[in-house]
Amino acid sequence: MNKIETLCLLCSQPLQSAISWKILLTKQFQPTICDRCSARFEHSPTATALYQYNDAMKDYLHQYKFLQDVALAKVFRQELHARFKLEKAAIIPIPMHPLKQRERTFSHMEELLKAANIPFIQLLEKTTTATQSSKNREQRIQAASLFRLMAKAHVEHKEYLLFDDIKTTGTTLRHATEVLLNAGAKNVKIFTLING
Amino acid sequence: MKYKGWLLPPALRDFHEGRIWLKEHTTFSKGDIEKSINHKYFHIIEGIQKEPHLKCNRCHNDNLQLFTTFACSKCQQQCIYCRHCLNMGRVSSCTQLMIWTGPRAMRTRKHSLKWAGEFTVLQQQAANEMLESVKAKRSHLIHAVCGAGKTELLFPTVHYALQQGLRVCIATPRTDVVLELYPRFQTVFPQTMIHALYGGSPKQEGYAQLVLATTHQLYRFERAFDIMIVDEADAFPYTFDETLQSAVQKAKTENAPIMLVTATPSQKLLTQYQNKSYSFIPKRYHNRPLPVPRFHSLWSYEKSLKRGKIPRKLKQWTEERLARKEPFLLFFPKVELMKIATPLFQLLDANIMAVHAEDPQRKEKVLKLRHEEVPGLLTTTILERGITIKNVQVAVIGAESTIFTSSALIQIAGRVGRNANFTDGDVVFFHHGITTEMDDARTKILYYNKKGFS
Ligand SMILES: [Zn+2]
Ligand SMILES: [Zn+2]
Ligand SMILES: [Zn+2]
Repeated sequence: MNKIETLCLLCSQPLQSAISWKILLTKQFQPTICDRCSARFEHSPTATALYQYNDAMKDYLHQYKFLQDVALAKVFRQELHARFKLEKAAIIPIPMHPLKQRERTFSHMEELLKAANIPFIQLLEKTTTATQSSKNREQRIQAASLFRLMAKAHVEHKEYLLFDDIKTTGTTLRHATEVLLNAGAKNVKIFTLING
Repeated sequence: MKYKGWLLPPALRDFHEGRIWLKEHTTFSKGDIEKSINHKYFHIIEGIQKEPHLKCNRCHNDNLQLFTTFACSKCQQQCIYCRHCLNMGRVSSCTQLMIWTGPRAMRTRKHSLKWAGEFTVLQQQAANEMLESVKAKRSHLIHAVCGAGKTELLFPTVHYALQQGLRVCIATPRTDVVLELYPRFQTVFPQTMIHALYGGSPKQEGYAQLVLATTHQLYRFERAFDIMIVDEADAFPYTFDETLQSAVQKAKTENAPIMLVTATPSQKLLTQYQNKSYSFIPKRYHNRPLPVPRFHSLWSYEKSLKRGKIPRKLKQWTEERLARKEPFLLFFPKVELMKIATPLFQLLDANIMAVHAEDPQRKEKVLKLRHEEVPGLLTTTILERGITIKNVQVAVIGAESTIFTSSALIQIAGRVGRNANFTDGDVVFFHHGITTEMDDARTKILYYNKKGFS
């Protein structure tokens, strides 16, 4: 996962390989996509997400999650690193059900953080293998909690930050927040890669 | 478990024969697959080969840049996957590929050729030469100018091969071409089971003795075809991508001859075939010469367009086409420049449209031009081949750009004058300096005309 990319991860065009002083001094990471692909993503105006959902993001998620292209975890590492490097709250990526994770072969949320070199912890586990998108709105809102505390998890009276890929109805994040608050968390913030 | 009484489902055999397939992607029942494996009807290999060097066993990619290693939750190890053929379903260290080694599908020798057309003398000669090569199991290069009628040339060879009980593949780099060839072959070979394979093609039943496929789909075959015909052998990405060339080799049986068909063979191909098995058709089917491109300087066109102004000569050319109601194609070197130019051209005529590679309405727009619903299209090089529009006129803007290789320019010029009722038309290369590629394209076209009419 640490190799230097010479081709754009999204369109395979050669990347300008010149390592400028500017990159060395101001940036942590080598770019992994070309300027043209990069320009297709739309930044989010909100403080709780990095990007807006658009065609480029749809293609990205398809390739990353459905086609299982783990390499794409690196695409947003610079932006994620910048957002999280000064974060004081403990970061918790939304977990996948173990069966689901075996099937996908990786946890897409954890891989994003790993690629951005951001430390994280895990206190939660998923209770169901059903996906949110396979339910209708009503089912999603009424469902029993999607998460529970991991055995031996210790929730402290402090601030936590939940990290998910996309916020649609907010059910996933609401359930996870409740579990943490009930277990004694002082405060739970949320942040998503994409604004739904 | 007892296997007594189990019968191999013919559909499983028909589908898997000749294919190399991800085990987890098979659409057949687990039970039937396991029983087939127990009967040694499948040869199972690992998805990624590590020794002697890293290689994807499906697409044969061995470029290290196109592999990624990660901590896999399925195999609990450092797992490697191939990014090169990713969109056909991921091949990784912990996936297996299945190759059919079981009983062969039933092939038939009953195939009829329903074609009432007539060959020109040159077509007939080339068709005969190709057939001779196939009979001798010898690879062959057909060099036919744009509009020579190369698809028909294939009919006798394909017919012969099918009647011998051979399995035939016609591969082309472009989906558009597969979609165009499919109905034509269905009409001409009404008794033959034909499959058309491209990214997103629907599931097709039965065993096809004739397969039309994009070169990309060949990754999914192994030692399947007894005759391999490669159409537009020079076209992007075929020339660029060596793994696609190895895919052609991999998809055919060891001794199967390759028939290459192209309007613009590379020097390498010519040297390889010219003295052995080579047919050359310098003349179009309608017996009229190829339109010769003219060069026209258009200094600083890019600056001018960016300032919101169409250069005078280009504007004149476009207005002339509009006034004479001649459909036209304007080729741009870059999408960005085309996007800047589009609104400027729409001031001349609001119905002018632009089309590029990722345009979802690409097909519709081309149809609109064909049906005279739009007067002209601005395009990138994607329309350089395959499309035929009656009485079309073409202009290249910035013909000096590196993307306009001699082959691309010959293909672009080849769009003009294909119709027997409109055998001529204007081909103009607007440029900011003449390149050797431009010269080469023109010299070759003049040479073909000389050869064809001497
Ligand atoms: Zn790119
Ligand atoms: Zn591969
Ligand atoms: Zn694995």
